[in-house]
Amino acid sequence: MLEYLKTGFVLMLITLIAGLGLSFVYNLVKEPIANAELGAKLQAIRKVLTDPGSGKLLVDKNTIPETTAELKNFEWEVKNFEAKDGIIYASEDGKGKVQDPVYKFSTDDNREIYVLTGQAVGYGGDVITVAGFISSDGGISLNSIKVIEYSQETPGLGANISQENIQERFYPVSNQGLSENLKVNKDANVVVSENEIKEYRNERGIIQVSDVMTGATITPRAVTTSLNAMYEFLKKAGAE
Amino acid sequence: MASGNLKTLTKGFVSENPIFVQVLGMCPTLATTTSAVNGLGMGIATTSVLIMSNLVISIIRKVIPEKVRIPSYIVVIASFVTIIDLLMHGFVYDLWKTLGLFIPLIVVNCLILGRAESFASKNRIVPSFLDGLGMGLGFTGALILLGIVREFFGNGTIFGVTLSELKLFAMILPPGAYIALGLLAGLFNFIGIKKAKMKKSTNK
Amino acid sequence: MPEGTRLFFIFLSAMLVNNFVLARFLGICPFLGVSKKVDTAVGMSIAVIFVMVMASIITWILNLLLVALSISFLRTVVFILIIASLVQFVEIFLKKISPSLYDALGIYLPLITTNCAILGLALLNVQQNYSLIETIIHSFGAGFGFALALIIFSTVRERMELYEIPESFKGTASALVSAGLLSMAFMGFQGLVKL
Repeated sequence: MLEYLKTGFVLMLITLIAGLGLSFVYNLVKEPIANAELGAKLQAIRKVLTDPGSGKLLVDKNTIPETTAELKNFEWEVKNFEAKDGIIYASEDGKGKVQDPVYKFSTDDNREIYVLTGQAVGYGGDVITVAGFISSDGGISLNSIKVIEYSQETPGLGANISQENIQERFYPVSNQGLSENLKVNKDANVVVSENEIKEYRNERGIIQVSDVMTGATITPRAVTTSLNAMYEFLKKAGAE
Repeated sequence: MASGNLKTLTKGFVSENPIFVQVLGMCPTLATTTSAVNGLGMGIATTSVLIMSNLVISIIRKVIPEKVRIPSYIVVIASFVTIIDLLMHGFVYDLWKTLGLFIPLIVVNCLILGRAESFASKNRIVPSFLDGLGMGLGFTGALILLGIVREFFGNGTIFGVTLSELKLFAMILPPGAYIALGLLAGLFNFIGIKKAKMKKSTNK
Repeated sequence: MPEGTRLFFIFLSAMLVNNFVLARFLGICPFLGVSKKVDTAVGMSIAVIFVMVMASIITWILNLLLVALSISFLRTVVFILIIASLVQFVEIFLKKISPSLYDALGIYLPLITTNCAILGLALLNVQQNYSLIETIIHSFGAGFGFALALIIFSTVRERMELYEIPESFKGTASALVSAGLLSMAFMGFQGLVKL
């Protein structure tokens, strides 16, 4: 009996010490973790606020938020839309969703840039994309995107969506392209040659990815689905 | 004494290589070697846990009651894995995201439990440390090797540096992982058998 | 999508499309170690399915507690301890009920603890935010998928015993290459289910 008590006690002691040690480390690392997560998000926001052609920031660089508090200043209070479980809008077929909160920035030349986070189901889970849409006289156009979540996609295939040279295929898109509804070239039954990529994207909303993402259509399709949902939302929320 | 320690350290490299010889720690091996850098990251994380757990288990080896030794080892190992997970989350966020689920799965890497049971629980601190380091390095080396093979044939790059136009996607997918590892294991065996044959003939 | 269909898809996805062994790389050690004979493979499969489902349920419930107390960082430690205890229990149970199976499984029975498929499953249930019902279905799917892969593979290996294999490839190496071919076959299931 004593033997059992002793072994049980030692095991409990080891577990207790381990638990305490872990709590200690956890408290130490809590802040760096929050910073890392925030950093990733801010990095994405910064990127979609940058003009892809010139590489210059479209907003005053001093206004770029660097803390959660600063970021809150840019939250856009949208009338007629209520966020539920972190989602503020879902497309009609429910496949594309827009996350809450949405942000609004002003460019140097008085246009508005909306920074939205959208998601759609990819191969194994949600694919989350941060996108910057510019609203000007000509309507809403897509400036730039950054895909920030793709961890459930197949490594080497769908997960390649993380590569910048692939994400580049998705932006910028003119208002006409957006209104045509974005789709991957496989869904449009075309293969676009290299020098026509821009034209197809801006005039017909066709995103050419089949050459760089062979055998992985589901993941880029999730990106276009979420982008379409974000565009729909912006139109309905009166951003145009 | 020093030569004994050296042997302890280096046996994990080839002769008792965790992956190619002992066939332990297969899951992370196949899953995280889609590229050389992922294999490296996983290897370093696993080695850190292995060293720390070997150290602690060796230190408290006289105190652990025999009946509950496996649960005790598990608590120690799981704690260190959690620590590594937290540290990676905070300081190497991108790598942490890439390795994802497989970081907590270091806990069930039979290599770590295996070394705890067969070595650290029966040896002093310094040899245990060296054993952990050696096995870890052998493990990491194997991961990098597999990562290089898969990345090169699957993507034409090594550590991100483009070297060829080769793009056999199957190498990055599960079948490629199994086959690549199988072929490498066959190669290791082949070398091992040849060495043994040579030793035999020189001994004659 | 109606709930019933969704549950069916979760099951099918875990069993075929995202087979734990052949696609997710979980549970490989027992996969390679216990697949030499069909009988042990079947016995192991049953044990694993049982542990998987029980462990998933218990860890799912405990996770609610962890989250409520804000100690989610203890998840790994808690989960693996649950699994280890469950396996101990299965060991004792099996020794009484079927000593022959107990002996046949040998060292591989306690090794179910380190079967990454079980811990991986428990963690995935949490990661995918599954409800309790979805968790249970997911676990059955994963377990049956493991069983399917293991049993098919054991039949392949039993046959391979009769072939002449080059010296360097005997054992693990040829097993791995065969597993790769099996994995390739299972890739045919991709696209079957889109959740």
